Formats: sequence, C-alpha cells, structure tokens
Amino acid sequence: MTGPALAPPRGFRDILPLEARELRAIERSVGETFALHGYVPLEPPVVEHASSTLPVRADRLIRFLDRDGALVVLRPDVTTAVARLVAQRYATASGALRLAYFGAVFREEPAMLGAERQHDQAGVELVGVSGLVADAEVLALLAETLARCGLTRATIEVGHLGLVRRLLAGLDAGATDEVLAALRAGRVVEALARAGAGGLDGPSLTRARHVLAARGGMPADADLPETAELAETIALARELYPGDGSDGPYVANVGLLPDLPYYTGIVFEALSEGVRYPVAAGGRYDELLLSFGTPRPAIGFAIPVPRLHLALYQSGWRVADERPLVTLRPSRDVRAALRVARALRAKGIAVALGDVAEHAGLELVPLEVVDERTVRDASGRRTPVDLVAARLAG
Amino acid sequence: MRPLRFALAQGLLLSPALEAVRAIGLETPDRAADDRRLVVRAGAIDFVFARPSDIATYVERGAADLGIVGQDVLMESATRVLDLVDLGFGSCRFVVAAPTSALERSLDEYRHLGSLEVATKYPRVAREHFERRGIPVEIVKVAGSVEVAPRVGLADWIVDLVATGATLRANELSVVEEIATCTARLVANPTSFHARRAEIEPIVERLAGRTAVVAS
Repeated sequence: MTGPALAPPRGFRDILPLEARELRAIERSVGETFALHGYVPLEPPVVEHASSTLPVRADRLIRFLDRDGALVVLRPDVTTAVARLVAQRYATASGALRLAYFGAVFREEPAMLGAERQHDQAGVELVGVSGLVADAEVLALLAETLARCGLTRATIEVGHLGLVRRLLAGLDAGATDEVLAALRAGRVVEALARAGAGGLDGPSLTRARHVLAARGGMPADADLPETAELAETIALARELYPGDGSDGPYVANVGLLPDLPYYTGIVFEALSEGVRYPVAAGGRYDELLLSFGTPRPAIGFAIPVPRLHLALYQSGWRVADERPLVTLRPSRDVRAALRVARALRAKGIAVALGDVAEHAGLELVPLEVVDERTVRDASGRRTPVDLVAARLAG
Repeated sequence: MRPLRFALAQGLLLSPALEAVRAIGLETPDRAADDRRLVVRAGAIDFVFARPSDIATYVERGAADLGIVGQDVLMESATRVLDLVDLGFGSCRFVVAAPTSALERSLDEYRHLGSLEVATKYPRVAREHFERRGIPVEIVKVAGSVEVAPRVGLADWIVDLVATGATLRANELSVVEEIATCTARLVANPTSFHARRAEIEPIVERLAGRTAVVAS
C-alpha cells in the first residue's frame, strides 16, 4: 500500500531544527551588520514576472502560468526584484537607497546549496550612488558581514569590468559582447580566439591572455585609469573595514568575471578555503535599473547562505551564546513544576516540560521538580530553584 | 592546504597529456600501464586519473583544481569550468554524417516529412547544432556504435566524434557537415584558479607557451 508522499517535491527539502537554529544565527549576524551600516530591510515577493531581464538562463528558472494566463517565475535572484521595485516605488527619489534582504531564491540545478531548487540568499543593494567610496562601502560591508558571522579567513577577490573592457579596446561593440560572454562562461580560449578574429593586435592579445588566463592580479602596465580606481577602492575599503590582517581580506584580481550579465564596474567574490564555490558575489550594475526605465547607478552583493553555512561549519563554527535548555520532570504536584518553569523563564532561561525528542543541538539540563522552590539535578543533588536560575543565567 | 590536484583523462589523451606536463618541467607520476592507483603524488601535485567524461565534473566541483580534457567533453557536459589553454593535441571533429548512398533520399524525406531522426552519443551537442541551423530533428540517444544506426533504420543521420574518418568510411557514411573541431584543453576550477593563482599561474603560462611553440 502506498501512503501519501512524505518527501517534499524534487529539489526541495525540510530544514530540521539543528540546521535551522544555525541558519537563524547567521541571519541574525547578517541582519545586525547590515543595519549597522544603515541598510534597511526589504521584502519583495517570491514570484516575479518572467521577463527577459532575469539574469538566469530560461532552463534554470522555475516558471508557471498563473490563473490569469500570465507567465510568472519563482525569483532566481533578489537583485532584479529590487531593481523593479526601486523603479516603481522610488523612481523620483534622490540620494542613496540602502536596501537589505534575506530570503529564498529558486533555480534549477545549483550546486552545493543544500537543495537543488531553493536556497536562502542574503544581500544588499546600494542604489543611487556611484563612485569609489560607494564601491568601497559595499566591499567593506561584505568583509565585515562575513567576519561578524564568524568567517574570519575569507578572501575577497576584486576585479573590474571596465578594466577588462580596456584590455579589449579596439574591438567593435558586437565582438566585445561576444568576448565578454565567453569570458563569463569561463571559455577563455574561445574568448581570446574571438578577440583575435575581431582584430585585437598581437601585443594586446598577449596582454589580455596574461591577465585573463594566467596572472590575474593587476596588469603590469598599471597606468590605466581603471587600475588606479581598483587600487583606490581597495584602499578605501581597508579604511572602512581592515579585518584582522594588515592588508585586509581584499585581493585585486582582474581575471575575475562572475557569471552574471549585468555587471558594469567593479566585481567581487568571497572565497573561503575548502569551499569550492564562492561564498558571496557582487558588483556594480549601473544599467540594470535602466532596463526598468529608471537609470540609476547601483552596486550590491548576495551571499548564498548555505555556502556561508558550509564555510562556517568547516571552520569549526558553532552557534555562540546559546543558553542550555532546561527540561523539567514534574513531581506528583504538577502545579509546582509549572511554577518552577515560570520562575526560570522569568530569568530568561529556556524551559521545556517533560522529555524532548528534538533539542536541536542545545545543551540539555534535566531537572526533576521536588517542590516549587527546589529541584533535583541529574546527580540527584537537591538545589534551590533560585540558585539554579542564577547559575544558568550567569 | 592540500596539494594541487591535477586530473588527467585516461585513454587516448593520457600519454600526450603526460608528455605536455613533463615538457613544462613538472614531475609526472611514475605509473605503469597496469597500475591501479587513481591518485598519485608527483612532486607537489596529486595527479588524479579518471574517465574523460568525469574530468569536467571533478574540476567543476573542485575535487580537482586543474584538468586536461577534450573540448568535446566540455561541450557535451556543459560544465562550468575555466577553459584556459588550447593544448593543440587530441584533435577530433564533431560531424553530422549520413549514408553515402542515401543522402539525397534523406534530404527528400526531410522536405516531405519536415523532420529527421539523428542518432548520437552526444545529445546536447547534436540538439544545439540543429537548433542553431533551424532544422527540426528527433535525437535518438545511443551508448555506442552509432555508425550502425542509419544502416538498421534507427535514424537517418548521426552526430559523432571522428578523428580520421576511417570508421565513417568503413560504414559507408559521409560527412554532411562539420559542427566543431575539438582539441585537448587545460581547464581549471574557477574558485581554485583565483584562490591558488600563485601555483596555477606558472602551469598555465608554460603550457600556453609550449602550445604556441608547437603550433608555430
């Protein structure tokens, strides 16, 4: 006999209490850091129009027709939703919008994100401001966010789309787009062949190959304006958040081209040793809002939360500052147990009555109620409730 | 930090790949033909030996930092790796082939029925090619001996990987059109590439330099 399906639909999964508790701890640290920098929370819906501005290939989207016959999509990212929202709600706003989000995104076939089709993303968007200080602000915010979550050994690789375009100067617009598309997909051989066919001269091609295929870092001819910009952005980010090392976590890397089509200026990815995909990615995307009819400079980043969680787990991280859970075994007088529970909770101590089947990794303190002022601990020793409360709350 | 992992495809590409690695001054594993070890340390590098079609997966998921793999595998698997250096060897072609005697008949069938059946071991490459060409086809996936498909009526045409074309000729097939020429590639996991640039850069530079010399 087959009963009802117990597993969730393909690609989705249940997050059980131990993991959920850790994810909530990450969400708290992330939210507090964003708030500290003046970023206010925002919650776009999980469903968006299936428009062509989405940054993800159609076959990786989860789309369906709603009852009105409209094609809608479970959002594959939040940045596009924020761009739409800003164009609608803040079209005439002047000054900076500092927006933060933490929520689910949906895609087919992502890797190392816990579930195939849904995972949480945390991120910020700084809209309406361009320039190096704004770039540095977001870069430093990412570094500080990761550190405050407990990931102290991440590096943040910083590239510059403008610099890559500079390396390709001399190609026409069509060829440049093709070369950039190939580079974003990781097809460096094809990109360089296309650049050569498009008329890029030998020395430029060699320089592009050195920078993109091998050396990364800064190009040797450091007199390009974008090179100075990149160095200055990193220096400013260091002022805002130096990290614990002398140079901070920032590393210039012109070979970095994240696989998203909308970046226009600086781009960056956070890497953590042992985690085989970036734990965060972001950059400047000055043209995305234009596609919603509101030209506005913008920069932001997104953290795929399961990857940050994985990086934290691998570095030995555990949720800090969690008080243990007291489990109370009532005596014959149930009312005494209820009063003890009330007294302990009044001191901020977590209490559950009776046995618990799932403690989510919390330390358990089993106590047996003797009367409303006295409990007996696991070793059988009688202790006044006040003393237990003081010890656990301390 | 663990040693750099370099995945090499077993089979036809293995000996030229080892030769290329040796030529740029890296130690190569001392491994007899019947050696069953699949991970072998040589110098500061762990060499991993795997099936060609698995190399791209190893590198995409960071189980190996670098790999040498045929471009044909990259095209069919559509994995996201950095394709860094065209190594020049292992050249082969993806082609569309049809029975030499029945090409005109299959074209006539296409005109009348509007669609062709195409047998292949490489469904993604085949599908993308015919989509680009705007020709409606039904892809028939087979695991081997695709050359026999037109003869037994399984499909009108085939898409296959050919080195010399001898197998096609032996089965009375001729090339209708070429899809792509493929060579062996040095590929890297994007995260490893950025995080371990200091170790990977000299390998990329020297392999690129060697290929340029071989080609000229």
